Amino acid sequence: MVDTQSLALVLAEPFMQRALVGGLLTGALGGLLGSVAVLRELSFFSDALGHSALLGITLGILIGVNPTLVLIPFAVVFAILVNQLVERSSLPTDALLNIVYSTSLAAAILFLSLVETYRGGIRQLLFGDILGVSTLDLIVIGLLLAAALIYLSLSMRAQVLLTLNQDLAGAVGVQTRWHRLAFIVLLAVVVAVSIKAVGVLLISAFVVIPACAGRLLCRRFLVYVCVSAALGGSCALLGLLASGVTNLPSGPSVVMVQFLGFLAAMILSSGIFRRRQRPVAESLTITSSD
Amino acid sequence: MHSPVLVVNDLSVERSGRLAVEKVSFELPSESETAVVGPNGAGKSTLVAAILGLLPRSTGNVQILGQPLSDNGNLPGEIRSQIAYVPQSLALQGRFPLSVAEFVGFGFDPPGPRWPWRDRRERQSAIEQALDRTGCIDLRNRLLSELSGGQLKRVMLSFCVVRPRQLLVLDEAQAGLDVPSNERFQQLLLQLRRQEGWTVLHVSHDLDMVRRSSDQVLGLNRRLCCSGSPDHTLTPERLIDLYGPNVVPYRHQCHG
Repeated sequence: MVDTQSLALVLAEPFMQRALVGGLLTGALGGLLGSVAVLRELSFFSDALGHSALLGITLGILIGVNPTLVLIPFAVVFAILVNQLVERSSLPTDALLNIVYSTSLAAAILFLSLVETYRGGIRQLLFGDILGVSTLDLIVIGLLLAAALIYLSLSMRAQVLLTLNQDLAGAVGVQTRWHRLAFIVLLAVVVAVSIKAVGVLLISAFVVIPACAGRLLCRRFLVYVCVSAALGGSCALLGLLASGVTNLPSGPSVVMVQFLGFLAAMILSSGIFRRRQRPVAESLTITSSD
Repeated sequence: MHSPVLVVNDLSVERSGRLAVEKVSFELPSESETAVVGPNGAGKSTLVAAILGLLPRSTGNVQILGQPLSDNGNLPGEIRSQIAYVPQSLALQGRFPLSVAEFVGFGFDPPGPRWPWRDRRERQSAIEQALDRTGCIDLRNRLLSELSGGQLKRVMLSFCVVRPRQLLVLDEAQAGLDVPSNERFQQLLLQLRRQEGWTVLHVSHDLDMVRRSSDQVLGLNRRLCCSGSPDHTLTPERLIDLYGPNVVPYRHQCHG
């Protein structure tokens, strides 16, 4: 049984305070960008970015540079290249992303096996170490959250129209290529920065689960974005507190709390749907005229 | 005399290594309605996309409201905000958390970055008026993904009418609508076109509707095969030229 004394002891530790702030900011950032990524069907893209980040870290170790410094430029270049590949190839996006992330994961493991001096644990890379978040990390995540908030607020019309229909967006003056690229680069940077705290395997949960819960609950886009970010932040906070007092791993604890939040959203939304049920909507076929 | 709203001159567009549209020229007189007809794969949607600057042109030029479309498809913001577009469909798979009123509000906003709370009152009033004029006011709080096909198309017209515009482009906007929904959409479009003074360019497979509503018809099969008034263009001989010998054209008695 958890008592308030052990909770107070945990909260008094500076590393735990940094972890809680880091978790709150990372969770909010994941929920914020996830709200658009999920609607644009980029969930798998964030997963592929997470796995490829392992390759970035490994390359950093191989060339003897701090992996954190290598990770952001690597993730940005990687995201741009994958975006180009998806745009130019006639193969389905999910198949291409699967090829990319399996290959980068395999390459990362092969390279890591060559580095005899590597002392970092593979477990830490895979599941993250939010307790090791530094003050500098918090500043970087905070600045990134502010940048993401400003960008999404100013480009909300562009983001929504681009998600609904790219031609409609372009016809009314949205710079579609620029906004697609800007969002993907932003997502790549967020994934790269969050990897240290969340880990390669669990990063996509931070992007996908709070946004899916928000999607089930909300009926307005602006509210949906805010609720997704709030859910992301609060689930991370609760998960870390649970992890701190139970001494269980932090990343998986957060993901389990996110999942409980998602279940709660499902139950709540099924109730909402019963009250607001409308006649069955005609489905629109998506066909190409030419 | 009004100058044309749209001038297309010698336009060719390449897609997947082949010419999808070849040397097409035409003009849209102000407040006229022009239909683009032709078989599947004739380049109709490609033509529309190139006119809107969504696809690069191989040759030719496009002028909208006297302003040339740049090589990379850009137009000044004040010209771009005079254009409305109704696509065949929206990507509304699953539950999409966007209300009808929010969607229509994005039609009010001019191109470029903008804080969501800017001009809130003016924006809200324009949304209400647009929804009222299209008979969609009761739908304002519904999710876009909950609407039927006919309701969604009327909401798209609300998106177009929420601010004054001059050019409306529809790419098979009636695709997937049943007969009553199609009829209601057509009547609403005609009413708004008269009220707003829209110049309309639409791609359609519904030749009966094209005959009733259009001032000008462009028969496209990669090249412009015929153009002119519906009576001049939609003749059995020209339709067989355009669609091939397996087409049996007929006219509805009630409209013919």
